[in-house]
Amino acid sequence: MAKNNYELMIAVRFLKKGRAQTLLIILGIAMGVAVQFFLASLISGLQISLIDKTVGAAPHISVLPADSTPEQLSPGVNKDSRKPLYSEKSEIIAWQQYAIDLKADPLISLVAPVASGPGFIERGGITVPVVLKGVTAEGLQLYKVKNSIKEGTSELAGDTALFGKKLADKLALSSGDKIFLRNNRGEQIFVRVGGVFDLGSAAGDELVFLSLDRARSFLGINGVSAIEMQVKNVFSAEKTARRHARGLDRVKFVSWQEKNRELLQALSSQSSSSNTIQFFVILSISLGIASVLGIAAVQKQRQLGILKAMGTTNKSAAKIFIFQGFILGLIGSFLGILGGLALGVMFMSLPNINFGFDFSAGMLLTPVFFAVLASTIASTIPARSAAGLSPIEVIRNG
Amino acid sequence: MADTIISVKALKKTYVNGALETPVLFGLDLDIARNSFTALIGPSGSGKSTLLNCLGLLESPTSGSIIIEGRDYAGQELNSLAAFRNSCIGFVFQFHYLLPEFTCLENILMPSWIRAGKPGYDLESRTLKLMDRIGILGIKDKYPEQISGGQQQRVSIARALVNKPKIIFADEPTGNLDTETGEKVLQLMKEINAENNTTLVMVTHDREVALKADLIVELVDGKICRYFNILKKGSAAIAKELEERACKI
Repeated sequence: MAKNNYELMIAVRFLKKGRAQTLLIILGIAMGVAVQFFLASLISGLQISLIDKTVGAAPHISVLPADSTPEQLSPGVNKDSRKPLYSEKSEIIAWQQYAIDLKADPLISLVAPVASGPGFIERGGITVPVVLKGVTAEGLQLYKVKNSIKEGTSELAGDTALFGKKLADKLALSSGDKIFLRNNRGEQIFVRVGGVFDLGSAAGDELVFLSLDRARSFLGINGVSAIEMQVKNVFSAEKTARRHARGLDRVKFVSWQEKNRELLQALSSQSSSSNTIQFFVILSISLGIASVLGIAAVQKQRQLGILKAMGTTNKSAAKIFIFQGFILGLIGSFLGILGGLALGVMFMSLPNINFGFDFSAGMLLTPVFFAVLASTIASTIPARSAAGLSPIEVIRNG
Repeated sequence: MADTIISVKALKKTYVNGALETPVLFGLDLDIARNSFTALIGPSGSGKSTLLNCLGLLESPTSGSIIIEGRDYAGQELNSLAAFRNSCIGFVFQFHYLLPEFTCLENILMPSWIRAGKPGYDLESRTLKLMDRIGILGIKDKYPEQISGGQQQRVSIARALVNKPKIIFADEPTGNLDTETGEKVLQLMKEINAENNTTLVMVTHDREVALKADLIVELVDGKICRYFNILKKGSAAIAKELEERACKI
C-alpha cells in the first residue's frame, strides 16, 4: 500500500471547504511574493545594468607601473631648477612575462597590453588634445569596439586609427580621411581613419585607438603603460587583483571596485534597503498565514476532535496544518511570481526605462523558497494547538 | 461467566481545575463480556459518559485499571493509544461528528485511511456492502449536511464499523433522533453487533433503549448502583424492577 498521507488529503479538503478564507490568504501571499519578486528583480536588473555600464566595456583590473602616478621628488628641497619637478616613469618593461602569467589564470578572461599617452590633432586651424591608446585585438575586444562601431571597420591595420564619435564629430572626420597625429615631442605621424566608434561614455568617445606597436614607437614607450584585464566574474576582480599583486612590487594592481567605491557603496545600501523591505513583506505574509490558520484551527476543532478519537495522532493533527501552510505558500508564491512577471512586463513597457529586469532562476526561486518556508513555519502555530487539542474536550462540549 | 473483554477495577476519575477537585467516578469495578450489549444508565451527572470515555481510552482515569483483552491501558498516554483506538475501538456519539468536508463514503472510510492510507478496491466494495446493509448506499456521494439526522447517525455507525473493531462505544446514539428513527437505528446497531461479533457498550438515559441490552449497569453519583441481567431475568421483569424503585446508595 502506498505511503499513508491522509493528512495531506484532509489538508486539501479543509482548504477547499474554506474557499473564501483560502482565496484571501493565497491572494495575500501572491501579492507579497509579487512585490518581493518585482522589487528584487528590478533592483538586481538595475544593478546589473549599472555595473555593466561601468565595467562592461572597461578593464576590471589594470596592472600599472608601481609609480606611474606623477610624484614630487623630495618635496620642498628642489633647489636645482634644471631637474624636472616630477618623475614620470610610466612603463612596464617586462610586460610580456606578466601577460603570460595572467593569461594562465582561468578566472581571467581577457588580457590586453596597452600603450597610452597624450597626443594632438591639428585640423582646420584648431589643435585638439587627444588620448591615444595603442591596443592589440584583445584591447579592442575589451572595449567592445566591434559592437559600438558607427562607421568603417573595427580592425586596426598598420596605418589606421579608430576614433571616438565625439572626437570625430568635432574634427568632422569620417572613415577614409587622412590626418596627422602629433606627440608631445613634436613628432608627427600620418594616420588614416579606419572607423568611428561610440562607447557611450564621455571619456571613451574622446579616445583614439592605434595598433599597439605603432603607439609604442610613436609615444616612445619601450614596454607598455598598462596591462588591462577582464575577469569572468566581475565581483571577483578585487580578490583576483590582490592575489596577483602579492609579491610583485614593481607593478600595482588596481581593480574596478577600488576605482568605484562610491558606486559600490550606493549599490550595497540599495540592496540592504530592498532586503529590509522584503524581510517585512515576508514577515507580514507569515503573520497573516499564522492568524488565518489559527482561526481555521479553532473552526476545525470538532473535526480534529473526532479525527483524534478515531486514531489520528497529535503529530498527524499537526501535519494537517503544516500541509495547509505549505500548500498555501506554494500556490500563493506561484501566482505571485506570475503577478510579479506581469508587473515587470508592464513596467518595462513604460517609456524611458533603459535597464532590464533580472528574471533569473535565483530571483524567481528566492521569494518562492522564502514564502513557502515562511508559510510552513507560520502554520506550526495552529499546528501546535491542533496537536494539543484533547478529543474529549470537543466531544464533551458538543 | 462468559469470556470477559473489558475488565475495570477500582476505577476513579477526579477532574482537577486549579485548586478545585471534582470527583466523578468513585472506584468502579465492572466486567463486560465479549460480544455482549451493555447499557450504562443513570441520571445526568452520574458519570456514565465519563466512564464510557475512560473505557474508550479517550480520557485517562485518575487511578484504577482498565484491562482490555488482558492488557491494562489505564495510565498510558492517550496519544500513544491512537493506533489501538483506531483498530480496536469504534465510536458512535450523540452528535454524528461527521467531517463536513468529506462525502458519506469518505467519512466511513476515514478510520481506515488513518490506519493504512487510501483504501484498496476490496475495502471499498466491502464498505459499499456495509452501506447497503445499513440502508445508506444511495447517499454515499452526498455530504453530511445534505442528509437527514437518522442517515447521519447511520453513516457514523458505518464509520465505527469500518475497521472491524472488537468494541463499539456509543454515547446516546439515538439521543438526537426522533423516536421512530431512534428505534430503527438502535435495532440496526443490535443486528450489526450480532452479525459482526462486536461488543457494544452504550450510554443512554432512555429506559426503553436500555431494555434492549443484555446487561444494564446503573450508575448513581459516580458509583455502580445496580446490575440488571436481562438475559437471565427477561426484559419485562427488569422493566418492572426499574420502574418500582429508584436506586439509592
